[in-house]
Amino acid sequence: MDFLSSMRISASGLEAQTKRMETISSNLANAESTSPDGPYKRKDPVFTAVADRAHFGEILKNQMDESAQGVMVSEVAEDARPPRLVYNPSHPHARPDGYVEMPNVNSVEEMANMVSAQRSYEANITALNAAKSMAIKALDIGK
Amino acid sequence: MSIKVFDHTLDALSKSLDLRSQKQTIISSNIANAETPGYQAKTMDFEGELANALELGDTVLERTNEQHMNAGGKIDEVKGEIYNQINNVVREDGNTVDRDAEMVSLAENQIMYSAAADLLKKKLALLKYAISDGGGH
Repeated sequence: MDFLSSMRISASGLEAQTKRMETISSNLANAESTSPDGPYKRKDPVFTAVADRAHFGEILKNQMDESAQGVMVSEVAEDARPPRLVYNPSHPHARPDGYVEMPNVNSVEEMANMVSAQRSYEANITALNAAKSMAIKALDIGK
Repeated sequence: MSIKVFDHTLDALSKSLDLRSQKQTIISSNIANAETPGYQAKTMDFEGELANALELGDTVLERTNEQHMNAGGKIDEVKGEIYNQINNVVREDGNTVDRDAEMVSLAENQIMYSAAADLLKKKLALLKYAISDGGGH
């Protein structure tokens, strides 16, 4: 239990938010992607809390170890919402009835998600900087 | 009258630094998991326990049963209490992290850590002064 553990936790937060940002980019980039097998489906990362471990095989030692949890993206789930239907019979991927199945991506929603990811990233950076300055302060005692 | 070179101040300050660094880890954990479904925000309290231990000094209240609460005792034994935060911020996915409150705790903890570290440094400087017979460096 030390500052390194605190910094590892913040780093896991940064990593998770980066992955979230990647899925948002992917969703936005593919907001109009269609294919004969069906349109692109919106992706959503699933966050899971994981106990912080300095190395594999470290066992639970005390109460503290359980409460210090990092975060990880356990899976990237596909959004089950139905595709958006657009009438465009000339489209190469149009169904026989003339409708094209467009991705279930809502750009506004993605933008809101993006801002949220950005703020979370910044919060983790702040926590990381706090741990760093506290560690430096501790080293300063010896001077 | 006895004058102790190493009194409780050093113990209390170093314990405070130790506990604050643990609290920092808890806060980092809450911030990292601010969007994890079902995550319960944790908090750590130790100020009261540490104050009790300081007040009691060398008097130690024995616990005759493991289940008894820690009524204070040796500064070394102050561990702090970690529990799930009870607040009104509960998202629909069961997450209870109040991000603004966490940022405030983060800043507070950092300042208190810094203050304790400064005090410890001062205390050691005083000892050094005394050891060198007031002669300075």
